[in-house]
Amino acid sequence: MIKHILTLIWNKKRSNFLLFLEIFLAFIVLFSVLTLVTYNLRNYSTPIGFDTEDVWVAYLEIDESVDSLTNIDMKRRIKQELNAFPEINGVGYSNSCVPFNDSNNAFGHRENGFRLFSFVIEADVDYPEVMDVNVVEGRTFNESDAYAKHTAVLITQGLRDQYFGDREVVDSIYLMDNDEPWKIVGVIDAYKYHGDFSDENRVMLKYEPQLESRFFSALIELNGAVGPEFEEKVNKAIAGVINRSDFVIKHLKTERELTSREYWVPIIALFSICGFLILNIALGLFGVLWYNINKRRPEVGLRRAIGATKYSISSQFILEILFVTFIGLLVGLFFAAQLPILKLVDIENINYYYAMGGAMGIIITVVLICSFYPSQQAARIHPALALHED
Amino acid sequence: MISLQNINKVYRTKTIETLALNEINLEVSEGEFLSIMGPSGCGKSTLLNIIGLIDEPSSGNITIANQTVNGYNSKDMAHFRNEKLGFIFQSFHLINDLSVIDNVELPLLYRKSVSASERRRLAEEALLKVGLKNRMSHFPAQLSGGQKQRVAIARAIVGKPNIILADEPTGNLDSAMGNEIMNILLQLNQEEKTTIVMVTHDESMARKTNRLVRLFDGAQVS
Ligand SMILES: Nc1ncnc2c1ncn2[C@@H]1O[C@H](COP(=O)(O)OP(=O)(O)OP(=O)(O)O)[C@@H](O)[C@H]1O
Ligand SMILES: [Mg+2]
Repeated sequence: MIKHILTLIWNKKRSNFLLFLEIFLAFIVLFSVLTLVTYNLRNYSTPIGFDTEDVWVAYLEIDESVDSLTNIDMKRRIKQELNAFPEINGVGYSNSCVPFNDSNNAFGHRENGFRLFSFVIEADVDYPEVMDVNVVEGRTFNESDAYAKHTAVLITQGLRDQYFGDREVVDSIYLMDNDEPWKIVGVIDAYKYHGDFSDENRVMLKYEPQLESRFFSALIELNGAVGPEFEEKVNKAIAGVINRSDFVIKHLKTERELTSREYWVPIIALFSICGFLILNIALGLFGVLWYNINKRRPEVGLRRAIGATKYSISSQFILEILFVTFIGLLVGLFFAAQLPILKLVDIENINYYYAMGGAMGIIITVVLICSFYPSQQAARIHPALALHED
Repeated sequence: MISLQNINKVYRTKTIETLALNEINLEVSEGEFLSIMGPSGCGKSTLLNIIGLIDEPSSGNITIANQTVNGYNSKDMAHFRNEKLGFIFQSFHLINDLSVIDNVELPLLYRKSVSASERRRLAEEALLKVGLKNRMSHFPAQLSGGQKQRVAIARAIVGKPNIILADEPTGNLDSAMGNEIMNILLQLNQEEKTTIVMVTHDESMARKTNRLVRLFDGAQVS
């Protein structure tokens, strides 16, 4: 029977070609979309690595005229004033490389036996605690690191996995920026400071005991939810120290949501387009099958007369369409497989495999659903009537 | 071989009710070549379809090849048709997308435990009998009407049925081709002892058979 159906499909290759093409193209489109979506959702599903609930960030600037000693004193006083509020748990300083604000600072160095590359965030001693990072190996910064010979850094697990494998990393020293030796004091699970969908997992928090720049950011960890009037108080307290009020305070939680939305919108749009695509394929397929089966009524009558059961009629029609589908999918898979084989895009292969499976599953399901009813109808054709019509 | 008792067939549509067969009693013995004649619409095809188990009577009893088929479900009937019956139609009913040999093999495909090589062998044998072995890989569109009907005969005999049911097998053919087909049927009847029931409009064809039954308005008149 299988061979018979293959013969039938081969002899009707011209009319089956369009169906094949439809399946093939649908697979390619679904595969592409699902790869993209899988990739993003898999990134989304990994932990972000820091706390955003009840954390504010103030982008601050100290006047150019202020000397460096006053600069340092102002930073000390801001912390002192803010920490005096019972609503505030802690304040940490960083450069302007703040989560979700799209600024980057990256370093690489080739003299370590390999090319070490990482995004780097400058952080003071309070920063890791304010951001509530998860140290999985070693320790976080402490005051004594300020007097140590090497700059202390925390690295992410992603960076560790990429460069160090099973090797011991805590307390090891690597050359970075300007041949300066940096010492890894600990590993944190993640630091997706570009947002939940970010794929950048090589990040270092570099300990800066004194951030000297006049541009800096203050991360403020609150004790819990507060009203807008408290933000006003914080504003006033900071303004009182730096003698200017042209700065903004942002809520990390809101920033995080806004950043994620930039990804959700296209993902949902793509899903809707795919939904329409699938619906179109389904309707087209249903129409074609319906038409074909009506055109083949005399054939069905004949087959029934010479001994085909209802079941063999319906399974013949379903198998015919499934075979064409499989050929379409096979050719589609061949092209899709070039992506992981040739490594054209730098994403993990597993994303392609999920997308292949998903696209095949969706198409086969749609084909089965669409071919079920017409095939049942075909099986119900009355042989005497169908043979009479010709 | 075939025994029909008090067969009635009523077609009901929204507007009218047609009594297509009216109290038909018919006995066909083994090895007989029976022809059925009658004006258009008198119920010949209906009768043949009922004998062929592709249509059911409104009432009456049917015994074919010593089996009372009244209690058969659709699957039993399909198997019965496949093993005991061969069909030949006026309009051939070949599947255009299959080659001649594939068309002939078709009934064996619905029979369990016939290997592919055995199917091929039997189909070639059947084509040899109708003189078309050299056209095996042609497609129906490349054949003349007479050749198509010979392919249909090969398909009807490939499963070695007890009974062949032919509905106006020469109806679409000119007389020369018609005679050719008739000769093949006669040969089958004489040499293989196949029971044949044939509907025809052609007196001369009917005269060549063992017995003639005439229908008029669904009833047997002779
Ligand atoms: N499916 C049907 N529904 C309603 N009436 C039908 C149906 N099939 C046949 N009939 C009617 O039953 C009667 C017998 O039809 P049948 O086809 O058996 O005639 P026939 O003797 O074979 O005619 P012909 O020589 O033209 O083939 C006709 O009056 C026909 O209109
Ligand atoms: Mg008729």
